[in-house]
Amino acid sequence: MKLLTCPMNGTRPLSEFVFGGEYRQAPDQDTCTDAQWAAFVHNRSGAPGDKKEWWYHSPSGTWFIAERNTLTDKVTSTYLLGQKDTTQEAGK
Amino acid sequence: MIFRTPKQVGEWVNRTKKINFTFEGEEFSAFEGDTISSALWAAGQKVLGRSFKYHRARGVLSLANHDVNVLVTDGIDTNIRADVVEVKQGMVLTAVNTSGGVKKDKNSYIDSISPLLPVGFYYKAFHTPRRLFPFWESVIRKAAGLGIVNFDYPRILKRKTHSHCDVLVVGAGPTGLTAACTAAEAGLEVTIVDENRQLGGSLGYNRAGDSSVVTELDSLMSKVASLPNIKVMTGAYAAGYYPDHLIPIVSEAGINKVRAKSVIVASGAFEQPPVFRYNDLPGVMLGSAAQRLLYRYAVKPFNNGIVVTANDYGYRVALDLFQAGTKIVALVDMRPTGSTAYAAALAKRGVKVYTGHCVYEAIASSDKSGVRGAIICAYDEKQSIALTDTKFTLECDGIAMSAGWAPAGALLYQAGTGMQFDYGVEQFVPSRLPNGMFAAGKVNGIFELEQRLRDGVRAANDVIRHLGGQAPQNDVEKHVGISPSHAYPMVPHPKGKNFVDFDEDIQIKDFVNAAKEGFDNIELMKRFTTVGMGPSQGKHSNMNAIRILARIRGLPVEKIGTTTSRPFFHPTPIGHLGGRGFHSHRLTSLHDWHQANGAVFTDIGAWKRAAYYPAAGQSKEDAIQTEALAVRKTAGIIDGSSFGKIEIHGPDAALFLERFFTGVYTDQKVGSCRYVMLLDETGVVVDDGIASRLADDLFYLSIGTSNAAAVYREMQRSQQMWQLNIGLVNVTGAFGAINIAGPAAREILSTLTDLDLSYESFPMSSVRESHVAGVETRMIRVAFVADNGYELHAPMGQIPHLWNALIEAGKKHALRPFGSDTQRLLRLEMGHAMPGVDTDGLTNPFEIGADWAIKMDKPYFIGQRSLTILAKRPLRKQLVPFVLAENYKGEMPMDCNLVVDGRDILGRVTSISYSKYLDRCIGFAYVTPARKEVGSVFQIRADSGALVAATVVKSPFIKTLKGA
Amino acid sequence: MPLRLLKFALSKEHPAPRFFKSHETPKKSYDVVIIGGGGHGLAAAYYLAKDHGITNVCVLEKGYIGGGNTGRNTTIVRSNYLTPEGVNFYDASVKIYEGLSEELDLNLFYSTRGHFTLAHTESAMRTMRWRAEVNKHVGVESRVVGPDEIAKACPQLDLSCSGQAPILGALFHAPGSVARHDGVAWGYARGADRLGAEIYQNTEVLGIDVKNGKVCGVKTNKGYIETKQVLSAVAGFTPRITEMVDLETPIVIHPLQACVTEPMKPWLNTILVSGSLHVYVSQSSRGELVMGSSLDPYEVHSTRSTLDFVEGLTSHMLDMFPFLSNVKVVRQWAGMADMTPDFAPIMGKTPIEGFYLDAGWGTWGFKATPISGKTMAQTIANDSAPDLIHSFRLSRFEDYELTGEKGAASVGH
Repeated sequence: MKLLTCPMNGTRPLSEFVFGGEYRQAPDQDTCTDAQWAAFVHNRSGAPGDKKEWWYHSPSGTWFIAERNTLTDKVTSTYLLGQKDTTQEAGK
Repeated sequence: MIFRTPKQVGEWVNRTKKINFTFEGEEFSAFEGDTISSALWAAGQKVLGRSFKYHRARGVLSLANHDVNVLVTDGIDTNIRADVVEVKQGMVLTAVNTSGGVKKDKNSYIDSISPLLPVGFYYKAFHTPRRLFPFWESVIRKAAGLGIVNFDYPRILKRKTHSHCDVLVVGAGPTGLTAACTAAEAGLEVTIVDENRQLGGSLGYNRAGDSSVVTELDSLMSKVASLPNIKVMTGAYAAGYYPDHLIPIVSEAGINKVRAKSVIVASGAFEQPPVFRYNDLPGVMLGSAAQRLLYRYAVKPFNNGIVVTANDYGYRVALDLFQAGTKIVALVDMRPTGSTAYAAALAKRGVKVYTGHCVYEAIASSDKSGVRGAIICAYDEKQSIALTDTKFTLECDGIAMSAGWAPAGALLYQAGTGMQFDYGVEQFVPSRLPNGMFAAGKVNGIFELEQRLRDGVRAANDVIRHLGGQAPQNDVEKHVGISPSHAYPMVPHPKGKNFVDFDEDIQIKDFVNAAKEGFDNIELMKRFTTVGMGPSQGKHSNMNAIRILARIRGLPVEKIGTTTSRPFFHPTPIGHLGGRGFHSHRLTSLHDWHQANGAVFTDIGAWKRAAYYPAAGQSKEDAIQTEALAVRKTAGIIDGSSFGKIEIHGPDAALFLERFFTGVYTDQKVGSCRYVMLLDETGVVVDDGIASRLADDLFYLSIGTSNAAAVYREMQRSQQMWQLNIGLVNVTGAFGAINIAGPAAREILSTLTDLDLSYESFPMSSVRESHVAGVETRMIRVAFVADNGYELHAPMGQIPHLWNALIEAGKKHALRPFGSDTQRLLRLEMGHAMPGVDTDGLTNPFEIGADWAIKMDKPYFIGQRSLTILAKRPLRKQLVPFVLAENYKGEMPMDCNLVVDGRDILGRVTSISYSKYLDRCIGFAYVTPARKEVGSVFQIRADSGALVAATVVKSPFIKTLKGA
Repeated sequence: MPLRLLKFALSKEHPAPRFFKSHETPKKSYDVVIIGGGGHGLAAAYYLAKDHGITNVCVLEKGYIGGGNTGRNTTIVRSNYLTPEGVNFYDASVKIYEGLSEELDLNLFYSTRGHFTLAHTESAMRTMRWRAEVNKHVGVESRVVGPDEIAKACPQLDLSCSGQAPILGALFHAPGSVARHDGVAWGYARGADRLGAEIYQNTEVLGIDVKNGKVCGVKTNKGYIETKQVLSAVAGFTPRITEMVDLETPIVIHPLQACVTEPMKPWLNTILVSGSLHVYVSQSSRGELVMGSSLDPYEVHSTRSTLDFVEGLTSHMLDMFPFLSNVKVVRQWAGMADMTPDFAPIMGKTPIEGFYLDAGWGTWGFKATPISGKTMAQTIANDSAPDLIHSFRLSRFEDYELTGEKGAASVGH
C-alpha cells in the first residue's frame, strides 16, 4: 500500500486516509453567474498533472493539503491548509 | 525408483525417510523431500499431465513452476503444481484435465483434429446459427478449464504478518546471497527471500559435472547464517511489487507484507525452450530442469539423451548428465561455431558434438508417452531454417534443451523500471531503475558466476549509499563474449507442433497466422493467441513470442516491446490474499440487553441496531405494530446510541452552524433545540438532525446514524477552510442515547429526576442538563417518534444503568422497548421524511417540501448558491404524504413501487406502511408537481401489477387522521 | 465440429485475411475523425458507414485497438439500471449485442447467464425493488427474487456469506450476459474497415484545432488532419482530449481494478454482484473466475495495481464461496474510468461545433458499446443527438438535470 505523510502524524499507510477531492477556490457566489456556479460545483479539472488535493487522516481527524501528480501518483508535499512551508521546498 | 542415482552432493531428498503415495491409481514410493514430479520421474513415470487445449501428454519441462505441464489433484485440492510441491505420505493423486486418466486421456483426440482448431478458432465459428451457440459454448466450457473445484474445501484463514527491512533481496542465488551479506556486513537489516526451499539458486545445480562448486555455496550459506541481521525466507516468493516498496511474500504459512526501504532484485532468469516439432514430448526438458532433477532430487532425467543447445549452457548440462551416468548420444548445437569453452571437455568424454545443427523434430515413442529419438538437421542460423536434406535420426530416450534465458523481471517491471534490449546477452535488462530499486545478476544481464558475485556486491553498495551510508562505487562491466541466449532458437516445421507456449499449446504458426490476421502488435498478439495468458503467465513463452513477432515484422526485438507485467509472480491462493477477513461492526452498550430480550438486529451504517423485539411466535409486522401502539398508548423506549453526536464549542459555534446548515442558529436561545439540514454544494439533501444549544458557546448536535462519520468529516473540512473560533468533538462513541416516548414517558421520567418536567418549564424543542437515575444526562424534547418524547444522552458506559432504571420505572406503565424498524413506522405516522429513505442522491429540499428549513437570507451556507439556481427552475417531483383508501384490503404496495399514469412514471413510493394505530395505510411518494395538492389521487402499481389508488393528505398523519 | 473450420484444416495457407488494413499515414482530410480505437470509437466508425454511408472516416488509436477499457473490463452486459432512460439505452445495447456475433461474423461468445445483484441489507433490497419496478415498466426482464431462487441458480453460494452479510434477496436480471471483450473491438474494426473507414494504431492526437468555435483539424504524431467533425471516444483519457479544446466537464479519472484466477472446470453459471461486499464475479468460457470490485477511492491516471484491492476482494469472495481458499489468482490489472457525478455517460454535442463527446463511461462502458456507437454515429451524421441519449447530454450539469442513476448507491457493474 502506498504511504502518505500527514503533516500532524507523519507517514502512514494510505488505508488511514480519505481522499477529499481537488482543493478548489469557489467563485464569489454573490457576483458569479448561475452558469459559473454550476460549472464550479459540477466540473473538475480532470486532466492529469500536479494538483492540490484535500486528504483526511481518519484516525486523527486531520484535513490537510497534498500536492500530488495525478499521473505518477507522487506526492511532493503535504501541509495544513494555509500553512505551506515554502522554505522547506526551496531547500529541496 | 529406477532413475534414482547414487547420492548427489547437496541433494534435497532424505533417503532415510521413504514415502508412499499413488498417482493415477498406481502405487509409488519416494524419499522425503521429493516433489511429486521428481518422485514420479524417479519411478520412470513420464506422462505426468495433459495439456490445456490439445490434451497432449506432458512431462517435466522446467521443474521450477515456470510451466504447468504437471497439475494434479489430491481429491481435496486441485491444480497442485507437482513440479515444486513436496510429495507427502499417503497422497492419492491424479492429473487434472483428463478424461479417463492421464495415460489414456479420451480427449487426446483433440490433438489429432488440431488443424480444425487454428489460432483464435473460437472467434471464427459456433456463432451461427445463433440458437446453436449455447450448445457449442457448453462443449467448449467443459473442454476448457483445468482442475475441478472441490466445493467442500475448507475456508482457510491465513494470518497476515508484516515486516520492515532496510533492504529486501529477492532471490537467494549466488548474486542475492552475496548482496545480502555485503549489505548485512554494513549493518543493514536484510531480508532475503527465495521460492525454493533451500538457498543457492543455480549455484546448487549448475555444476558442469564438477560438484566442487558446492563448497562455494556452503561458504556463502555459512556466512549468511553468521550474520544475525539477515532474515532468510525460503519456500516463499515475492508475489508482486506495490508502490513505496511494499512486497507481499507468499509462503505456505500465509502472506508477509514486507515494507522495504530498498529492494535488490536478484531473481535470476527463466530458461526458455528452443522451439522445434514435438519439443513438448515427455522426456524433452529444459537443461536446467535436467540439472534440478539430478542434483536436487538425485534423479537421472534419462539414460540415453541428446542435448540440444544454442548457448554454452547446454554444454554444462551435458557434462552434468555425463557425470550422472547418462549416455550423451550427441550434443546438437544450433550455432555454427559451437563452444570454445567446453568443446574440449566434451570431446574428452567422447561426446559427439554437432555444431550448426538442430533438432528438427523429436520422435515420439509408439504410445506417445515419451521420446524414442530425434531427427537432426543442419541448421541455417541466418535464415533460421533446418536444412532438411541433411537430416538423420538419432535414437534417445530424452532431450535436454538449452537456448537461453528471459529475465525474471516481474518486480522490476511492476515497479516501473525502464528496460532495454541488450544484444550482448540477447535479453531485456534494466536501463532506468526507480528510486530504491536495484537489480543484480542474471536479471541484470550478468551471467558469469564471478561477475554475478561482484554484481551482488555492487548492488549492495548501491543500496548502502542510497540509504545514506558509505560504500565504494564498483561498476561491474557488461557481459562480454558469447551470449548466454540465442537470438532466435526456432526451427520451423511444416507440420508444426513446435510449441512456444506449453500452457496454452501455442505453436510458431499460430503467431504467423495471428499476424496475418492483423494481430501483429505484441499486446494484440497476446490477446488473440493467448500466449502468456496461462497460469505460468509467459515465464517460458513471452520471450520467444517477442522474438517470433520481431521476425514476422522485420523489426528489432526492442521495437516489439513486452507485454505489461502484473502481479502475481506465481498464482496466489485466494485464502492467502483474503486472509482472516475483517468485518467491523459497532455495538451500543445495550447490545447484550437487546440480545437477551430477543431483538432482531439490523445493520445501519457500521452499527448493529435492534430492529424490533418479537415475542415468541410473533411476526415481524405484529411485533412492530405492538411496539408502535405502546408508544402511542403508553410508552416506548429505544436505544438511539448509534446516532451521530457532535459537540461544537467556542464563540463562533453558532456562526459555524449557520454556514454549515441551512437554518439560523445565532439567535437560538440556550436550552433550545433547532432542526438542522445539511446540503452539499449542488443543493442535494445530505442529512438532518437537531442542534441543542447548551451554552452560548456550546452546541450539541445529534444527526442520523449512517452519515455521522461523513458529516463530522465535512464539518472538520469546513472548519479548516473557515478557521472560525470553534472546536469540534465527535462524541458519537462517547455518548449513548435513549429515547423514551409516549403518553406515560413524562411520568416515568419524573420518578428518576428532580428536574421540573412540566411542559411550561421544559417545552418542546428544548434541552436540559440534569441527573436521571443519578446519571448526568442531556435531555432533549423532540417530536421525532411522538410529541411527548425525550432523548436522553449520557456517557455510553452509563447507558445500561439509565436504561434499566427507566425499564424498571416504566413497568407499571407498560413501557416497551421498540426497535429501529418500529421507529420508521412511528416517524412516518409523525410525517417526518428521512434523508436516505425518502430522499436519494439527487433530492433537493424543495422536492421534499423543506422550504421552511431553508434560510436564504443568510450570507452563506453550503448549497445556498445552487438553491438560488434550483429555485428558478420548475420542480420536477414532489414528495407527498398519502393514504390508501379506508379499510383497504387489497395488495399492499411496497417501498419503491412506482407511481404511474399509463406508460408514464410519475414517481415512486419511498415509505409505506400499515399503521395499526391509525388503522390506515400511509406513506410518502414522489409525484409530479401537478399531483401534489392535498386531495389529488394517483395510482401506485403494486408488485403484481395491480393499480392501487392513493390520495395526497396533509401530514403529520396522526394529526390528519386522528386529530392528535 | 462446425464446417467453417474445415477450410483451416484443408488450406495450405492460413485462409483468413487481415482483420483490418494497416495504413501508413493518414490522408490530408477526413469527413470525420474518431479519436480512440476502442469498442466505442470503432463501433461509431462502423455505424457511420453502415447506417449513414459516411465512410471517409479515420479512427486514431494511440496504442493498439481495444487496448484501453474495452480490453480491461470484466465483460458484463446488462440493462438493469435505475432510470427509464438508462434502462432503455442499455436495453437497446443488449438487443444489438444479441445479434452482434452474426452481424459481425465473429463469435463474441455472447453468453447469456443471468445476472444476480445480491442484497444483504433492507436498504439494498429497496434499491433492488426500485430497479426491478423500473425495469419491468420499460419491459426489461428483472425481478426481485428470494434466497431460494439464488440458491437454485448458484448452489455453491454461501447465502449467509460466512455469517457476515446474510443475503436477503437479489435483483435477478435474465438478459445479463458476458462476452469476449477483445472480440467486440476486433469485430467492429473489421466491419468498419470493410466498409471503408481507416484505422490508425500508434497514432496519437496532440491537439485539436478550433477556430471561431468550430473544429477544423486534428494534430497527430503522424501529421495534421483537416476535418470538421471530431468524436472523442477515449474513456479513461477524456479530460486530456477535452483540455485540448478548453472544454470543462465533470469527468475525473479513477482506476478500476480486476483480477482473474487460473482456469477451472465450469461451475459458476451466473453472474453475481454484491454491492455490500463489493464483488462481482463470473466464470469465463476458459474457466477463469473474472472478478472485480468497486472503484479506487482516489484520482490516478494510471493502471497500476494495488494489494488492498485484491486483499479486500478475495476476502469477500471467501465470504461468498468459502471453498475457494486454495484457488489461485493469476493476475490483477486495472483500467482508468471516466467518472461522472451521476454515474451516467456524457454523450452528444458540445458547445464546440463539430466536437462530439462519447465519454463518462465510468464502469459501464463495455455494455453500451454497440448502442453508443450507433447513437454517436447518428449524432455525427445529423449533427443532432437522438432522443435515446438526450438525458446524457453534457449540458445537463449546467441545467442541474443530472440523471437519476445516482440514486442507486450500490455498486453494480
